[in-house]
Amino acid sequence: MKTVFVRQERCVGCRHCEVACALEHSEDKSLIPFILNERNSKPRIFVEVIDNYQKFPNRCRHCDPAPCMQVCPTGSLFRDEETGSVLVDYLKCISCGVCAMACPFGIIQFQKMPQLELSREVNAKCDNCIGRLDEGRIPACVEACKTSALEFGDINDLIRASRTDFTTRLVRSRGAETEVPIIPANIKAFKAVMEKISTLS
Amino acid sequence: MEGEKMTDQEIRAESERRAMDKNDQEIIRKAMDEGVETAWDRFALQQPQCGFGQLGVCCNNCSMGPCRVDPFGGKTSHGVCGANVDTIVARNLLDDLSVGAAAHSDHGREVVEVLLETAEGKSQGYQITDIEKLKVLATEYGIKTEGRDKEEIAKDLALGILEEFGTVKGKLQLAERAPAQTKEIWKKAGIMPRGIDREIVEALHRVHMGVDADYVNILLHAMRTSLSDGWGGSMAATECSDILFGTPKPITSLTNLATLSKEKVNIVLHGHNPLLSQVIVNAAEDPELKKFAKEKGAQGINLVGMCCTGNELLMRSGIPIAGSFLDQELAIATGAVEAMIVDYQCIFPSVPATAGCYHTKVITTSTKAKIIGTIYKEFNPENAIDTAKEIIKLAIENFPNRNPDRVRIPEKPMKVMAGFSEETIRKALGGTYKPLIDAIVAGTIKGCVGIVGCNNPRIKQDYGHITLAKELIKRNILVVETGCAAIACGKAGLLVPEAADMAGEGLASVCKLLGIPPVLHMGSCVDCSRILVLAANIAKELGVGIGDLPLGGAAPEWYSQKAISIGTYFVASGVYTVLGIPPKIFGSSNVLNLLADGVKGITNSAFAVEPDPVLAADLLEAEINRKRKALNI
Repeated sequence: MKTVFVRQERCVGCRHCEVACALEHSEDKSLIPFILNERNSKPRIFVEVIDNYQKFPNRCRHCDPAPCMQVCPTGSLFRDEETGSVLVDYLKCISCGVCAMACPFGIIQFQKMPQLELSREVNAKCDNCIGRLDEGRIPACVEACKTSALEFGDINDLIRASRTDFTTRLVRSRGAETEVPIIPANIKAFKAVMEKISTLS
Repeated sequence: MEGEKMTDQEIRAESERRAMDKNDQEIIRKAMDEGVETAWDRFALQQPQCGFGQLGVCCNNCSMGPCRVDPFGGKTSHGVCGANVDTIVARNLLDDLSVGAAAHSDHGREVVEVLLETAEGKSQGYQITDIEKLKVLATEYGIKTEGRDKEEIAKDLALGILEEFGTVKGKLQLAERAPAQTKEIWKKAGIMPRGIDREIVEALHRVHMGVDADYVNILLHAMRTSLSDGWGGSMAATECSDILFGTPKPITSLTNLATLSKEKVNIVLHGHNPLLSQVIVNAAEDPELKKFAKEKGAQGINLVGMCCTGNELLMRSGIPIAGSFLDQELAIATGAVEAMIVDYQCIFPSVPATAGCYHTKVITTSTKAKIIGTIYKEFNPENAIDTAKEIIKLAIENFPNRNPDRVRIPEKPMKVMAGFSEETIRKALGGTYKPLIDAIVAGTIKGCVGIVGCNNPRIKQDYGHITLAKELIKRNILVVETGCAAIACGKAGLLVPEAADMAGEGLASVCKLLGIPPVLHMGSCVDCSRILVLAANIAKELGVGIGDLPLGGAAPEWYSQKAISIGTYFVASGVYTVLGIPPKIFGSSNVLNLLADGVKGITNSAFAVEPDPVLAADLLEAEINRKRKALNI
């Protein structure tokens, strides 16, 4: 199973993933025309921030079974079996918002789809960049992420790195004092300063 | 906050989170109630802010980019040009620092130009006020003073200083004021400033792609550029302002938003340069204008300062100061400001939008700093009084538009004592620093720290300044301040002689003896040059370098590029400096280590980053103790 894995500690909050996502889902898929054409596409990934230093890129997990699919009264949500992506049939969507209520990550957003000339706002959730996946490319958000906070690949491969970190932390002989994942000292110092600022009274 | 209205309790809690001062909190609540946007709201909307930028690893210099380096050591370790993280971080820092140095020095240039025009009789409303200082400077510049009238001397001096902006002689006269040991360090490190504009231009050259790639070399030039500001442009601004308007002497006045008046026409003078605002102060005494104010239903004209223009007016004329950087929108939100007159630097571009929520008129005056939505009245020294009167008239005409139902002015202004120029401090001590040196040697006063710099919505307004100042004076460390730091401590009641009670026993006894506060207001941000002169004169009297003295510097709430230049000329001059907000250098361990440690080997001083003001006081005290030990005291 392939997925987009989030390594929260590497997110620097640049929001490049948001820009790349909006661009990928725009008509022109190119920055300048996108800006000039009323910016008619919005990101489907959200870099959330807590206390000005903790950042997390929140994105559809393409759950299986997917709560949104289970509650959709019109069956507008469906799964692409090959990639496992949860997709939306915009014409079937009645904008009832029940999918958003069921979503465990709160990432469903409604917007107009200019490509379809629908006057109503429909569920415009992450489509895993299905078109790119079909072409053998990775999702736009992952491509845009230069710190590898977002990684695309087989979930077990991606988990393996975290597992090794976790094991290192457990096994004293491997140096349980070692903090993993290893964050460069200067970045750790910066995070500590920002955390201190956010908690000063 | 989006979409839903906050409860009164939530608004109260938020106002207390944003600012220390009760008066500020009151007006923050008013602004929030009325839906008036302020910097704090925009700061919240900007979250999350890009980590590449915060770490300094984003390079937007050329059109092959923008490039960014993965701070976690991933594949993107170089920009398209091949610059590594050290080069990118150092170049960005030099770029920021040069902007700050340019702001100070270009301000300085304008003051020197007005001095020249005044000497030539071409200006209106200016005179050569401090003849003693004029002669001191003239002597330094090798200009003959005997038997010449002040205009002749001033003309030669102004030309002499102006020449140093683009000099070919390769040195700055004012930098000669530094002690020999300090100058020796500069010469050895190759950072002796050669000209005011030159260092800035060269900095811009060096940050161009394919020029300087050695982070050490870049940072050394950053130090040289900062010295051309502190011992050049800023010092010229201070000295020539003193010659034109008088060298500050201790003066008592008031501060905080309660300095605005319910009955009078309120004019806020905001920005940095005293050239126009000082003329406005004089013009406001015009009986015609006072009469006109009465005709419009006001009881008079109330001038208040804001930011460093405010500091300049407070220092010389005792004009009350309404607040600092983060108070500019709050002053308007009182609903009682007829006009805000701005020159330049630190003016929120959104000020006309804030003013648009009330009757306030914003008047821009500098050809360098126009803002759409304001009234533009160009300031020229040739007709300064006419312009000043015109502006005051505009404010008076606006008085009937004030809506009393939307006015709220806090009740209690705070008393302040300001005006501590280097000359005044020296004269108060009897013309020599010996009494101060004796007190330091005896340990009655352990040392001295300059707290300077701005406000920053990252940290509760004034919290860093006030907490640090209180901590230091408690530990018998004398505090000198400029800029927003000084205004913060003014609002907190630290700038009055009675504040000596908050100081440690030794410092308190000295303050009480001299009748001075334990925290001395030394002026605006260009007046950080006064701190340099103070340090230089003490060092020379002792026969040591500035880096040998038990001194420290701090910028607990800095935001501006100017503060980077100030911090760097402090460190380059030998003063250990603690920053409360991290500079954008954490992406490079090499740059970080050089500035926090490596530079010690060159200047016997360094930078530290410590947001917690109590811990910052620990660092400064430890540094002061280290230097005391080295001096065997």
